[in-house]
Amino acid sequence: MKATLFDYGAGNLFSLVRALEVVGVAPTIEADPLACAKTNDLLVLPGVGAFGHAAARLAPARVALARQLAEGRPCLGICVGMQLLFEASEEGEGAGLGVIPGAVTRLRTPRCPHIGWSKVGEEDFYFAHSFACRPVDSSVVRASTTFDDERFASIVRWRRTVGVQFHPEKSSKAGLALLGTLVREVTS
Amino acid sequence: MTTKRVVVCLDVKGGRVVKGVKFEGLRDVGDPVELAVKAEAEGADEVVFLDISATVEERATLLEVARATASQLFIPLTIGGGLSSVDDVTRALRAGADKVSLNSSIVSRPELLGELSARVGAQCVVASIDARRVGDQWKVFTRGGRTETPLEAVSWAQRCVALGAGEVLLTSIDRDGARTGYDLELTRAVADAVSVPVIASGGAGQASHLVDAFVQGHADAALVAGILHDGVTTVAALKRGLRDAGLDVRGVR
Repeated sequence: MKATLFDYGAGNLFSLVRALEVVGVAPTIEADPLACAKTNDLLVLPGVGAFGHAAARLAPARVALARQLAEGRPCLGICVGMQLLFEASEEGEGAGLGVIPGAVTRLRTPRCPHIGWSKVGEEDFYFAHSFACRPVDSSVVRASTTFDDERFASIVRWRRTVGVQFHPEKSSKAGLALLGTLVREVTS
Repeated sequence: MTTKRVVVCLDVKGGRVVKGVKFEGLRDVGDPVELAVKAEAEGADEVVFLDISATVEERATLLEVARATASQLFIPLTIGGGLSSVDDVTRALRAGADKVSLNSSIVSRPELLGELSARVGAQCVVASIDARRVGDQWKVFTRGGRTETPLEAVSWAQRCVALGAGEVLLTSIDRDGARTGYDLELTRAVADAVSVPVIASGGAGQASHLVDAFVQGHADAALVAGILHDGVTTVAALKRGLRDAGLDVRGVR
């Protein structure tokens, strides 16, 4: 299966590429946002970098990509890539795609960032984030996770777009299994 | 809930994993890719590669090692040692690191922490602090524990966090390789003073030492190295020990 992985130029894409390959996806890394909007395959927004930096890189194609997602282009957003599906973030300037109404706000937990393995359903997945998505419409929330005294959306689903706050590509066997499931769900 | 993490540290020099005692007397313990993959299979929550190369030639191999490791490792990989600029960090991340750990370079130029967290996010940036008790306080040392700085460890940790570090890797030089347990006083002093996760390092000899680091030291993660390489114990055995002590750990039933 083909996919386009948007490169914001800020981090490790290598692990995600390898994890996608393991679950049968062959991603093309694309640093030009306009080129990302020229195909209609699975769009992957990776979980690296800060919101402001990523939003700035995405900006030229923001409207085009949001329209594609509304029309049913499959999309997987991981960590900051999930946050980019929302309207804006306290982390930095700029706009996300805004396909899911809501904002991204800082965790108010005693320990922040939230770094480590936390439960999503029955299994533990690896999280590394200081901000979390607050969807206006709770029907998009597929799973929530509790860290310290806060509960936040850890999986959201809207049309053929799925966003995960954790890193499936860094969550060992459970992560790879879920990555495969999510990719099949949004592309089938 | 977040589980207590067991972090496996591999000191890498010239493309091989080595282990020293009190930062001296190095010996070869194996291939980094093989050892990292083995750690994941045993239930390690993270792997750290600390590059302790002395020369540019030795150092050049680390990014290749990182790339080879990242293609087989599906838990977080941190790379540290010799990273001194945003470009160095970008290269390490591109090679497959999820986080970078910075030590001497942030002592000489603390602003680097802010530059990095703005670019890659604080969750990618680990402040590595090597501390040794001097009189009634802990002093920060650099250059692999050889050079004493005027910095005091607890306030330095707070400053690192204020500047943009998302995690603190705290090594007790006094305990490194001694296997007598982590420096719990140091660990707790730092963990209570900062809002980010603290990884206790230096001194692990058995599972109860990790329990102490979490319960008494208030650490979020505990780093182990030597005891694994010598076959004294395994990650799985350590995690069973943590579970039996009532701690929440991943992957142990």
